[in-house]
Formats: sequence, structure tokens, C-alpha cells
Amino acid sequence: MTDTPIPVGRVLRASTREFAFGCRVLQPDIPAFGSFVRADARTPGDAIYGLIYDVVVQDDLFVRRFVVVEPPEEVVRDQRDNRQVPIEVSVLSVGYREGGRIVHRIPPQPPVTMDHLYPCPPDDIVAFTQRFDYFRLILDAPAIPTDHLLAASLWAAANARPPSARESFLVDAGRALTHLLGGDLLRLDGVLQSIRPEQS
Amino acid sequence: MTLELNRLTNAVAEMGRTIAGQEQTFERLLAQARTWLAEFSDQGGALRDAALKIGAAVPTTEPLAAAFPLPHVPPRFTVIGADGAQIQPDRHGLALYYLINVGSLVYRHGSGETPQARSVPQLCFREQELYEGALLVSGNLLDVRRDLAELTHLADLVEAEPAGPTLALVDGTLLMWLMEDLPAQGRKEKFDAYLAQLDRIRRKGAAVAAFTSRPRYTEVGKLLHLAAMGGDPRQAEGQPNPLERLPDGDIFAFLASGERSALFVSPKPINATVYTSEGHTIHLCYVNVAGAGEKPVVARVEMPAWVAETPPLLELVHGGVVAQSRIVGGFPYVLARADELAYVSGPERQRLEEMVGTAMLAAGLSPSASSKALYKSMTRRAGR
Repeated sequence: MTDTPIPVGRVLRASTREFAFGCRVLQPDIPAFGSFVRADARTPGDAIYGLIYDVVVQDDLFVRRFVVVEPPEEVVRDQRDNRQVPIEVSVLSVGYREGGRIVHRIPPQPPVTMDHLYPCPPDDIVAFTQRFDYFRLILDAPAIPTDHLLAASLWAAANARPPSARESFLVDAGRALTHLLGGDLLRLDGVLQSIRPEQS
Repeated sequence: MTLELNRLTNAVAEMGRTIAGQEQTFERLLAQARTWLAEFSDQGGALRDAALKIGAAVPTTEPLAAAFPLPHVPPRFTVIGADGAQIQPDRHGLALYYLINVGSLVYRHGSGETPQARSVPQLCFREQELYEGALLVSGNLLDVRRDLAELTHLADLVEAEPAGPTLALVDGTLLMWLMEDLPAQGRKEKFDAYLAQLDRIRRKGAAVAAFTSRPRYTEVGKLLHLAAMGGDPRQAEGQPNPLERLPDGDIFAFLASGERSALFVSPKPINATVYTSEGHTIHLCYVNVAGAGEKPVVARVEMPAWVAETPPLLELVHGGVVAQSRIVGGFPYVLARADELAYVSGPERQRLEEMVGTAMLAAGLSPSASSKALYKSMTRRAGR
């Protein structure tokens, strides 16, 4: 698996279930909802995987001064390209890698404050989504938009695969969801609708 | 955390009434100052020597009450701002070190390009960086180092800039008057290093200026009192000066939008003793940077003699400062951004301290903060 050398931020606070990280990255690179991220675990080579379920752009008084007037183009570009907007990103833990083996369970230890967070490269995402046991961790998470998160993460996982493999991956994911949400057909239908290939 | 605001209610109310009461006196003094400014406008030449003796603004050849309209600036010009921040060495911390962080923005007016933003931190922990003789580099000594770092960074950026009208801006002053209070040891080297940066900017053909927002200098008021005393320095110093607390910026609030005042020379002793011999005599003027129809916002702008005496450079300073200030409203955009880029927040400070602790552990040491720092971290944690 290849490491992405550029971290997206550092861990602010963490529990085994979820963690938050802060980043002051350039605006085009704000991590997206449903993206897979990875933090290094305590043992070298091991990792904790998570899904971004919330991105909050902090209030910025400086920008407020400009939104009511028509600023010069240079200022607009400076605010967009250079300003380091403080962003807090919340991540749900969905598994970990231990001794080269990927496990879809709550990690035994959370990442530590100030640890780097990396976006998962496609190889990592494909390896992590060979199985769907992590769905349970998403569906059981309280107070987060679980269904939307599930759909967004499946699209991220599908897009990490070659185009020819995407549809079969989504069909397999849909089957796994049918088992988990069989008792709530309305909800199941909502999630399945949002991962239908024509929704892309 | 234990500021009992309810106990201040009466004092704050009284403060409001007192300030309102002072308003009348202020208006009377302002009228007096402006009357004198008009009355003695042409007597600048006769007041120069005496003004220098008593620390009053030194007139140039421009009439004291002159107002110069906003000049035309080139369609494309560059303004570069730099500002610095520091973390003072903390003897209660894990280790003795200080940090200077310089932020800067290169803004090319009329280009439509993204300005170039930079932030350059410098961690100083070696013995030779931490001490000057027996003195720990902190307070004014560190301020001087930060000022030098700012101007050096600014000169670096000016030199790297392609040919074309360029204005380099710092926040505050170009006069390192802090040095007057420092030990004589090493003072000359520091001045030389600072003035060398001004030389670099001059050689490149750029202008350099310092911008002071809401200035409270009273040097022009002192000059007007001197004029009212017939230009006699002894009499001016012997008689109470009614304008001694009236900020010069208020006197020049009559300037129309975009106008600048006459140029003066700063009477600070180091200007004559240090800057003049190198050709950098610091001049100053007041500029109303507010837009048309807005309440005046008067700033003080300092520049070396070679800028003040070169009309295209003086116009670039005047026009550039106004153009920049109108972006944000009353303050140059490049300086607001440079300040932001230099600023070190409380959490960043804490994280740096944690990094220092980790690095010390990795080097086999057992870092610990002082007991005082430990108790402060406990008692001050809530509410932060």
C-alpha cells in the first residue's frame, strides 16, 4: 500500500469510536464528506481507518468584511487560494490494519493528539472495502447522517476501482445492505436508491 | 477569570461621562491647533533648528498646512507588506528558546493574480542566539531582532520582485527608537544591519514606508506651540503647551479623502545621529486614507529621505497606501494579511512547546516546566 505523503491535518481529539482533526489546508483541498482517511496506529505499519462524516468551516471575521463589498480580483484570489481557513473535520472509526490484516471493528486504541491524518489512496480504499463488515459500525453510529455517509463512502470506494469494476462492487454492497437493513425496507430503499449507478 | 465586571459598572459609567466631558476641551484645542497651522504655515523654514532642539516635528520646504491630493498611481504596481510576531523566551517553560515568525504578502495591483503569501518561522535556542553578553534576548532586545527580521525579509522580497513600481510596507515605524533604551554594546551593529536593508530596497529602486494606524504622536502640536512662542525653544519649553496631549492625527483630520499633509522630518534623536549620516533621514506625513464621503481615517506614514525627495516614489507611497487601505477599510490589506500570517496563536504556542518536549525526550532528557507554570496551566485551563 502506498502512503500519501501529504497529511490533511492533525488529530485534535479522539476516542476509539471517532476522532476530530483540524486542518488549515487550501480551500480546493478541503477533505470531502464520505472520504476515507487513515491515521497511523501506535505500532509502525498499523493504521486506523475512518470516514469523514462532518466538515465544519470555522467562522472568519476577515472574510465577512468583504462579502458585503465588491473586492478587487486579487483579494478574492488571496482569500480563496491563500487564506488558511480553519476547518474541523469529524471522522468515524470504521476499522484498522494490524500486522497487514484489515479488521472492520472499532480500533483497540484511538489515534493520539497531533497524529497526522492522511487521505487514503485508492489502493488502500480498495483493500479496505473488499468486505462490508464495517457497514455495521456506520449504521450503529448515533447522531450522524449514517445513510448519507454510507452512500458517499460507497461512491468513494467505487471510484477507487477501475470503471469496469464499479457496478459489480456497488451491486455487492447493495446485497450486503439488504441483509443488514432487511427489517427497515423504507430505509434500505433510500440507501439503495442513492448508490444506484445512474445516481453517479 | 476573577475579573468581577459587576464591580466595575460605576467606574465604566463614570468613564463614559468623563470622555464626553473632555470632548468640548478637545474641540477647542483642535480649533486652536488648526488656527496656528494656518497662521504659521509659511514659517517652517524659520522653525527648523528650534523644532529639532525641542523634539517637535521638523518642517521641510512644504508649507505646514499644505494638503496634497491623491496622486495617480500606475495601472500596475506591487505592494509588499511584512510583519513579525514572536514567542518570548519563558524561563518557566520546558526549555529556553524564542521564536520569530515573519509573515508577508506580495500584492500586485491591477494584475488579477493571486498574491503571494509567506510565513517564515525562525526558532532560536543556541547560546549565541539566546544571550547578548549576560542579557537574555527578550523584551526590547527581541523586538529589535524581530524588526530586523521583518525588514530583511521585506528587502529579500523586493530584490526578488521583477522590475516595476514597488512599494515595501511595514507596520509602525522605520525608526528603531527602542534601541535608544538598549545597552550601547552592539547597538551600532544593529543599526548598520537595519540600515543595510533600507539600502538594499533603495538600490532596487523601490519605495519603502511605515504605516501607523490611529497615531498618537504630538510632534506637530509641539511645533505649532513653538511657532506660537515666536520660534523661541526656551520659551516653548518653559510655557505649558495646550496641545501636548492632542494627537497630530486629529489635527490633520481636515484632510480631504485621499489627501496627504506636508512632509516633516522626525525629531527623534536617532534620526539625526544615525539615519541622516546614511542618507535615510526619516520623513513623515499624515494621510486621510478614507474613501470619499467617509469619516476621515488619518494614518501616519514614514519614509526615508530618498523616497520623500523622489516624486515618483513619494507618489507611489501616497497612492499605494491609500489604495491598500481602501481594500480593508482604514488599514493596508497587505499589512492586515502579513499580521495574520505572522500571528502565533495560543494553541500553536502550546503545540510548539509540546514538540520541544517530545524532541527533548527523544534526546534522552526529562523536560519539565517550572512549578509556577504547572499551577498556571491548572488554574487557567478552564475558560480558555
